[in-house]
Amino acid sequence: MVRKKYQKKEIVLAAGCILLAIAILTFYIWHQAALVSLGYKTGKLEQDILSFKEDIKILETEKAALLALDKVEKIAREKLNLSEPKEGQIIYEDFRLPDDK
Amino acid sequence: MNEINDSCQKRVNKRTVILTFFFFLWFLGLTLRLIQLQVIEHSRLKGAVVKQNEYKPEIIPERGTILDRRGEIMARSLPAPSVYFVTSDDEPTEQQFARVQRLKNILDLSDKELQRIKAKIKDRASFIWVKRKISPEKAETIRRLNLNGIDFQLEHKRYYPLGTLAAHVLGGVDIDDRGASGAEFQHNARLEGVPGQSLILWDGRKRPYHLEVLKEPIPGQDLILTIDETIQYIVERALGTAVRENRAQWGTVILSDPSSGEILAMASYPAYDPNFFPPSSPEAQRNRAIQDNFEPGSTFKIITAAAATETGLVNFHDTFDCSAGKIKVAGWTIYDHKKMGVLTFPQVIIHSSNVGTIQVGFRIGPENFYKMIKNFRFGEKTGIELPGEENGIFHPLKSWSKTSLSAHSIGYEISVTAIQILQAMNIIANRGCLIPFRITRETPDLSGSMKASSSPRERIISEKSANELIDHVFEKVVLDGTGQAAQLDGFTVAGKTGTAQRIDPATGSYSAGMHLASFVGFVPAERPVLSMIVVIDDPKVGLHYGGQVAAPVFREIAGRVLLYLGQSPKIDPTKKMVTAQLRSISD
Repeated sequence: MVRKKYQKKEIVLAAGCILLAIAILTFYIWHQAALVSLGYKTGKLEQDILSFKEDIKILETEKAALLALDKVEKIAREKLNLSEPKEGQIIYEDFRLPDDK
Repeated sequence: MNEINDSCQKRVNKRTVILTFFFFLWFLGLTLRLIQLQVIEHSRLKGAVVKQNEYKPEIIPERGTILDRRGEIMARSLPAPSVYFVTSDDEPTEQQFARVQRLKNILDLSDKELQRIKAKIKDRASFIWVKRKISPEKAETIRRLNLNGIDFQLEHKRYYPLGTLAAHVLGGVDIDDRGASGAEFQHNARLEGVPGQSLILWDGRKRPYHLEVLKEPIPGQDLILTIDETIQYIVERALGTAVRENRAQWGTVILSDPSSGEILAMASYPAYDPNFFPPSSPEAQRNRAIQDNFEPGSTFKIITAAAATETGLVNFHDTFDCSAGKIKVAGWTIYDHKKMGVLTFPQVIIHSSNVGTIQVGFRIGPENFYKMIKNFRFGEKTGIELPGEENGIFHPLKSWSKTSLSAHSIGYEISVTAIQILQAMNIIANRGCLIPFRITRETPDLSGSMKASSSPRERIISEKSANELIDHVFEKVVLDGTGQAAQLDGFTVAGKTGTAQRIDPATGSYSAGMHLASFVGFVPAERPVLSMIVVIDDPKVGLHYGGQVAAPVFREIAGRVLLYLGQSPKIDPTKKMVTAQLRSISD
């Protein structure tokens, strides 16, 4: 039985093909893994966005509650010692009598 | 030897046959049982498995936000975890209940609630709510306990950040976030959205291992009210003070922009906090502005005056003898609050003489007067987009008695709501046109210009009649008549006071000590920016006339609101001491 002798060029070509196939396969697997990983990250970021949106809503509602006028008035009166202007204490800078030109 | 072998062989064969037969029977039994389970009872058993292992709860969508006219949040739904318990068939009831009992202090579970949960565990209910819509902090504490069968579902809870402000307009929601009263109820379809559905699968030990959203919920749409948070606050503060100071039963104020029909504030006292709905007192939940009928008394003279002017049957120079201070009609004596001599038609209304107004009513006649009351839409809802509005009580002409014309002309024998009286005054303010009320807007008024889209209008009385009534009657009520306490520096106010005797529920007759004080008016009279009605029921601190109790509340509120709206005085303010720049709202 005579064993066929491969030429060096053929061996290199075959090895190159195998390496290329392995490289493509590796790249494909890496690519898929990266995609999955990015998918997880995207999903997490989307969750984070939803969570932040909820946080914004909560904070907006808290802000509305803190700025409720009864609370503002209480602070103005009790902490800042402000009081209502008395009768006739307000004049209007832009006031013009109908005859005024 | 051969015989012995044959005999053994036969025995073996026999045993083999018997054994084979038994094996055959065993397999046959198994096969039949499998056919019974897998074919005959397939659907029933599959149903039982599905019932044991899956649960499809409804996902309640996030409810739309309610905003005031400037886009301030008045009601909003925020995520809130709800605790539930999943029962196990393999575990004794007491052991399962013991785990729930560990939550008693954290969740403030009452004995009644615990009994409910225990009964459900005994009934082998697969899913039991322990407490709904708890705080995230409490949920975290429970999570750390890591109790088997205890889990959470994220729901939404309604928050009203302004507390009691505009409670009667907003209403409230039930535990499932469905509108139960007020705008929440009226606009529930718009606010609630479309529910979704989720699927929870449990293993044999009732541990959830799969959660899937089968149908995404569609969130509700936002609702923009015509209410202005600041004006509502001004109104509620003044109303609360007035009711408390007068030790009255209740009070209500409605403030509107007459040119658009938009309600800027609507308040009733006593009020409640919609964060804790329903309120403990059903009385506090009543929106007095639209849900309470009462005999209006002298504010109804607006209609008498309008009928007299519009029909032309009474002239502004006509005089009426009111010197007796009383008048007798079909055995019923009606008194004035003081003897007033001979009065012209405007003076009759300006000084709110019952004697004079009844004589005016006689001139108008029942048919004309009935027609005018109908034209002013009494006896029917105004159509405001809030639930529970009353029609009022307005009897048909054919059932009027001999005293009905007199009684109606001074605001008795007819029951109205506060909003109906304001609507009547708005017709005068709009120079004879009826512009329907509304309490919702399409878009927020971020500029603060108070501009509204054009509203449909219907002429009720002529512009000439309305102008004459304003110039000769309703402005004078505030300048010289019973409504002087409503005068505002720098502005002309037009209005009408009302003081109605109330029927004492104990005696069933009019009580000398129970009154309903009211004032309805608009300002500035020449080009109204706001109109308002103030009603105070049963004031007990000496004063009880509308001009003494309700008119000052009108003045207090109108003064502040005009300042807030950036309205410059139209006439020279009487005093100028401290400067304050009037800042335009649009700045």
